[in-house]
Formats: sequence, C-alpha cells, structure tokens
Amino acid sequence: MPQRRWLHLHNTWQDVQVRKLCELQLQPSILQEISEEHNLEPQPPLPKYIHPSDELILEDELQRIKLEGAIEVQQLVTGTILAVYGCEQDDGKFLVEDHCFANLPPSLPWKGPSADRFVLLVSGLGLGSGSGESLLGTQLLVDVVTGQLGAEGGQSCAANISRVLLAGNLLSQNTQSRDTINKAKYLTKKTQAASVEAVKMLDEILLQLCTSVPVDVMPGEFDPTNYTLPQQPLHRCMLPLASAYATLHLVTNPYQADIDGVRFLGTSGQNISDIFKYSSMDDYLEILEWTLRAGHISPTAPDTLGCYPFYKSDPFILTTCPHVYFCGNAPRFQSKLLQGDEGQRVLLVTVPAFSATQTACLVNLRDLSCQPISFSGFGAEDDDGDMEVGH
Amino acid sequence: MCAAYVVVIISVTYKWLSYTLGVHVNQAKQMLYDYVERKRKENSGAQLHVTYLVAGSLVQNGHTCHKVAVVREDKLEAMKSKLATIASVHVYSVQKALLKDSAPLYNTDYDIVKTNLHNCSKFSAIQCAAAVPRAPAEVPQAQRASAQAGSRAPSDAGAGSAPVVNGHAPSAAKQTSQQPKGIMEMFAAKAASKGHDANKETKTESKEAPGVSAASSKPPAKSSIMNNFFGKAAMNKLKVNSVPEQPKEEKEVVKPSVPVAEPESSSNVVVEKPGKKTESVKSQQKDKKSKMKRVDKSDNEEEREPENLKKKRKRIKQLESDSSDEEADIPPSPTPEEEKAPSPPPVPALKAELEPVPTEVSAGGRKRKRKRVLKSKMFIDEEEGCMVTEKVYESESCTDSGDDFTESKPPPPQKQPVLPAKKEPKEEKKNVKKGPAAGSRANKQVSIMGFFQKK
Repeated sequence: MPQRRWLHLHNTWQDVQVRKLCELQLQPSILQEISEEHNLEPQPPLPKYIHPSDELILEDELQRIKLEGAIEVQQLVTGTILAVYGCEQDDGKFLVEDHCFANLPPSLPWKGPSADRFVLLVSGLGLGSGSGESLLGTQLLVDVVTGQLGAEGGQSCAANISRVLLAGNLLSQNTQSRDTINKAKYLTKKTQAASVEAVKMLDEILLQLCTSVPVDVMPGEFDPTNYTLPQQPLHRCMLPLASAYATLHLVTNPYQADIDGVRFLGTSGQNISDIFKYSSMDDYLEILEWTLRAGHISPTAPDTLGCYPFYKSDPFILTTCPHVYFCGNAPRFQSKLLQGDEGQRVLLVTVPAFSATQTACLVNLRDLSCQPISFSGFGAEDDDGDMEVGH
Repeated sequence: MCAAYVVVIISVTYKWLSYTLGVHVNQAKQMLYDYVERKRKENSGAQLHVTYLVAGSLVQNGHTCHKVAVVREDKLEAMKSKLATIASVHVYSVQKALLKDSAPLYNTDYDIVKTNLHNCSKFSAIQCAAAVPRAPAEVPQAQRASAQAGSRAPSDAGAGSAPVVNGHAPSAAKQTSQQPKGIMEMFAAKAASKGHDANKETKTESKEAPGVSAASSKPPAKSSIMNNFFGKAAMNKLKVNSVPEQPKEEKEVVKPSVPVAEPESSSNVVVEKPGKKTESVKSQQKDKKSKMKRVDKSDNEEEREPENLKKKRKRIKQLESDSSDEEADIPPSPTPEEEKAPSPPPVPALKAELEPVPTEVSAGGRKRKRKRVLKSKMFIDEEEGCMVTEKVYESESCTDSGDDFTESKPPPPQKQPVLPAKKEPKEEKKNVKKGPAAGSRANKQVSIMGFFQKK
C-alpha cells in the first residue's frame, strides 16, 4: 500500500486500507471513572453513546486526518473500513465528496436442497431467569421440533427440520450475579451460582432436542464461556446428558457452517448490539446489512467490544458471501432477502430473544425464505388481550 | 390461627398420558379426546375442563407468521378465527378444575419428562437415526478430532477468513451434512407410517443394535477413565456394554455373581493367563487370582459357590497368618471386593472371625476398654464439593488402667460377639451401684471412677 502524503491528493480516491476513528464524547472511559480528582460518578450505561460533537477521523498506519463533508458521522463506527473520495483542504481537514464500502463479497456456489428443508434459529432462551414465563414456550418449541405436538401434518413438517441452531444467551442475564464479590465468603460458601441450575435445565432441554434433531449451540453474552470474541464453545462437561449424543454440536460464536449445502454465518448478537450503541442506526436488520456491505462482521472490536488481539490477520473480514447471515438476541424478528450486484443472494435474519418474544425463526433452505414461529400459553391476563390482536 | 389450604391442580396432559401408558403421542391425544367426548355424552354436567393446542399461520406485517398456542376451551374458537390457516388442533390436557394459567401444564410435562429423560423421544412421531448416544470411549476420540482441527487453526492464520476461527465447525458441518440425507429419507418414511407400534419397535431395536455393536468395537481400556468423567448416562451405557467388552476389573465382580457366564470368562482367563504372567508389576496379584480361577475351573459348576467361599476363606486365613509380603502386594481394594461378591452371610462371619481376634488378645492383656469420645471428623462432601468437619462420638479404646465407666453404646452384634459379653456384667454391676452420681461425673475425672471400680 503506497503511502501518500495528504498534500498530494486532489480529487483522488484515497486508498481503501484505512480505518476510521470516531471521537466520542460519551464513550465510557475507564480513566474518567477511576479519577477521584474530578469527583465524577461512574457513567451509567446508556443505550447509545453518540453525541453531536463526535468527529470522524480517517487513519492508517502512518497518519490520520479529520473528515468533513458528505459523510454521516453518526452512521459510522470505529473500525469501519471504507474508501473516501475528495481532497484535502488548507486547514488540514479532508473534504469528502463521496465514500463507498467494500460491498458484498463474491458468493459461494449454490448447493441447496431441492425439497423443503428447514433450519430453526432460536436465540436468547434465557434459562435461569427466575421467572417461568418463557418456560412453557420453550417446552412447546421442543415439543414441536421433536414431533410431539401437532397433528400428523404438522409433525411431518417438523420432520423436515434438519437442524436447530441456538444462537446464544441460553442463560439469562440474571445468572450473572456476582454475589461472591460483594458478600463475605462465609455467607456465600454454600450458595451455588445461579448458572448451575440453569445449565442443568439447559442440559435437559438439549437432551430432548438431541434425541430428535442435530443441534448447534452457540454461546452468547451471558453464557459460561470466555467474554472476548471469538467465544469458544461451551464445554461438554457442563452438559453430560446431552453431550452423549453425536447430534449435539457445541460451536463458537461467530459461527459459520454449511447446512445441507447452504452456507450459514452468524453471531449471537454482540457485534450488532455494539454497533447499535455506537451509531445512530436503530434497526438491527439495517446494521446487519451494513456489516455485510462493510465487509466486516464486527468493526467495533476490539475498540468497544472485547476481542482476541489478532495481529497477523483478521478472521472477521468477510471474504465470501454467505447464503444466510443472522444475528441472535435481536429485539424483534426481521428478515430480508438481499440481492447483490454480482448475483449474490443472502437471507438476512435477526433472530429475536426467545425469553422476551417467544418467537423463533424457521428458514426454508430451498428458497431462502424465513418465517417466524411463536409459542404461547395462556394466563390470567389473556382474557382481555386476545381480542385486540388483529390480522 | 388460620388454616392454609393447598390446592393441587392435577392435569392430565397428552405427554403425561403417553409416557404413563407407553403409547405414541398421537394415540394419547386421541385417547384424551375420546375420553372427553364419552364423559360429556354420559353426563352433560361433567366438570371437565379441556385445553387445546392450536397451530396455524396468519399474515402479519406482510409476512406469514406461524403460531403455536395452548388455549383454554373457551378461547378455542377465538384463536381459530384469528388464524388464517389452521395446521393442527388437538387436545393438550384434561383436568377437573379450571386453570387460571398454563403453569400447571408446564409442571406436569416437566415432571414426566424429567423422570423419562433417558427415552424422551420414544413415543414421539419423529425418530432421528443420527441420535445415537455415543459410547463413552467414542467421546475422547471425537474430542481429539476437534482439538486437532482447532490446532490447525493457528497454522492457517494466514488464510484470514472466518472458517479459521471456527476451526472445527466446517469439519463438523461436513460430517453432519452427509447424514441429513439419510435422516430425511428416514423422516419421510416415518411421517408416512404414522407411528405404528411395530414400526416403532423395529426402529428402537435397530437403534440399539448399532449402538451396542459400535460400543463393542471400541477399545475397552478407555471405559474406566470415562467412568469418572461422565455422569450416570455414561455409567448406564458402560454397564450395557460390559457384557461384550468384559473389561478386567468388572470381570472380578461379574464372575462370582453370574455363574452362567462362568464358562465364558474362564475361557477368557485361560487365554489371558499367559499374557498376565509376563507382566512383572502385578504378577503376584494376578497369580493369586489366576490360581483361584484354575481351581475354580476344575470344580463342578454346581458346587462352585461354596467351593469359591472355601477357597477364599483359606486364602484369607493364610493372609492373616503370614501377614508379610502377600498383604503388601495385594492392594486392599480387590480383596474386599472378592469377599463381598459371593453371598453376604459368609462375609460378616469372616469378619467376625477376624476382628475379635485382635481385640480379644489386646483386651485380655491390657484392659483396653471402648470409650465414646467426641472427635472431629473431616471428610469431603461430594455434593457440595467442600471439606466438612463434624464432631461425632466415636468408640475408642483407651488404656486408662482404672477406668471402666463407658456409655454403653451397643456395638454391632456381628463384629464383637465376645467382647460385649465380657463388658456387660461389669457395667451392670456398676450401674446398680452408682446410678445418677456416676452419670454426672462421666466425662470429668476419669481417674476418680477407677477408685470405685476396684471394689
């Protein structure tokens, strides 16, 4: 990559291998937090860390320059790789006239099935939350997949589910309590971590699923594995009942696999939610598409999202276009079939958190279509609520 | 004071019925439906509340959404009218009381599934050919395969693409992508057959057969390691597989208790004996065992059990007398196992012979008495995973010359047939004489009591 001094650039395309930095006013700073001189209170977690005074800085190995012009500061996050077209001004800032991303990488050849085959995407089971609201829904989901619920027509449809993919947050955030830090040791000696019971419940659920269908289990933000991306698979000693079956696959996050000839790529959602926090984009599907176009699964790592310090190469760069690109633990279900310029076809799916929405996604591998499937029981309050839901 | 009433709602769900009666789920649903119909025809005022499962699809926000819901009977029509197409409607549960919410249904299902976890898909309509529990020996191989795949990842770091991160994912995907083809054929066949019992039985049989044959082909050496690693599931499987595999440790236990299998194992022993003798480390131990087996082989089969015991008794008594190198070589664990394995009554008798011998000897000489002492015992509590210190009263012999006062804790009758007989006359005398006064001074001045004893 030739290094050029900024002065020599006039209406030329700057090289693509540059990184973008955003100076954020609100970005949580550890130094501020521990600074006692300022008597500052620790910053409460905000839903979004954007501020009008944020700036964009273009940076490569040698130099950095502020960007102005036809570019949306709030739309971009730190770590985005893009090309800018413009020229340098006298005050040392770069005036942008246009910019573009890497766009969709070339797609893999299509080897999908010719008959209906389904993959069930679920995320955010949230076991161990202490509230039993989603438990019946989870049981209904397991029963549908294992062919216990439904009449014969429904059961034969369920028989076509060739894989179940659990995309993270199998455990609830409530299992993350760290009483052991706050309380004295003698008080916490006999109490076991909340995640122990939750993992036992998970083991039973996975056992029921594994006796019937291959299951891929991805860890998520609240699951007992490492924090930094890429998260390693859950250890099979935690799931003694289910790991006896060869149909259980404990996989990493992010996860890429070929299921029946269809290439799946996705995460448990930490990458998308981090971009959500640091940009003005609100729609998870929009962010998902944006990461695909930017050619990188998680640009904010390692800046604001924990990530292993890869230094030779970055495994999160998208070199080929998957057929199904998903993210877990989204606030709601969304899906879109994206057509690329070179004939790529990608199904984008945001899988909602099951503990909140009782909804999972059924992807039809034959035609890359996706439909949500919701489960519900009944409660005392349903008497009034039912009538209001319309078509 | 107010009384508290506990209302337990008992609901019969289709799943509970299916597991309890051992029928296919669809049959259970049909049975529930027939029952409800019949009861309502017989007695129109029947207090039966039914919940239904409704599954179908409706169009929401431009795309089709599937809905699966459990509804009360009074809401059934409303739910059906909301759905554009109805895929299935069937009885979910039947109960006497009106349910406020679906929690009791969940509890019923959860309990019945929990007690049937080992065959949770036995009565379901979908069977998966790939869902065969791995024999414990297979698992470390699978783990090694994935570890190797993972170790390939750093060396491939130059490739710089997503598959590197998930080193084993593509390989796993490759393995399973071949399987679903077979599964699909199976599913298509299964769905068509609609759960006939005969079909189901052949399926479970065919499932078990490959499971056993796969297990028997695995190296038996791994099984003992995996015993510790996995829980009950592995242990159960191991017991199933022990018959074809015959690992060495299990042979010892299995042999005396299964006389029918005797010829098999003895023939195996004959084959293995020459191999055993060449091993120097455990040679003495094995010689003992092989000697025993040779002797057994020559016996008649009917008289095997008592002769075993005789031989064993002889061996033990020999051990007692020359307690030198033989004891040192043989680790304590196999011998108690072999003692225990034959019928229990001879064993306590054996022990009875053993234990009073040393105590009698010592009691006669030095007036050793058994006393209850408060001692703290430390042991590791497996459930909690921690060390627990407990204070317990324990019988202990003390050498105080005069002391005779002990709280008469009744010792186990088998163990010390002789000693209590000796002690009791003394204690009775003592108790008659002193009564409560003795009790108050029990744990204090031990030596003072000796003053009274000398009478």
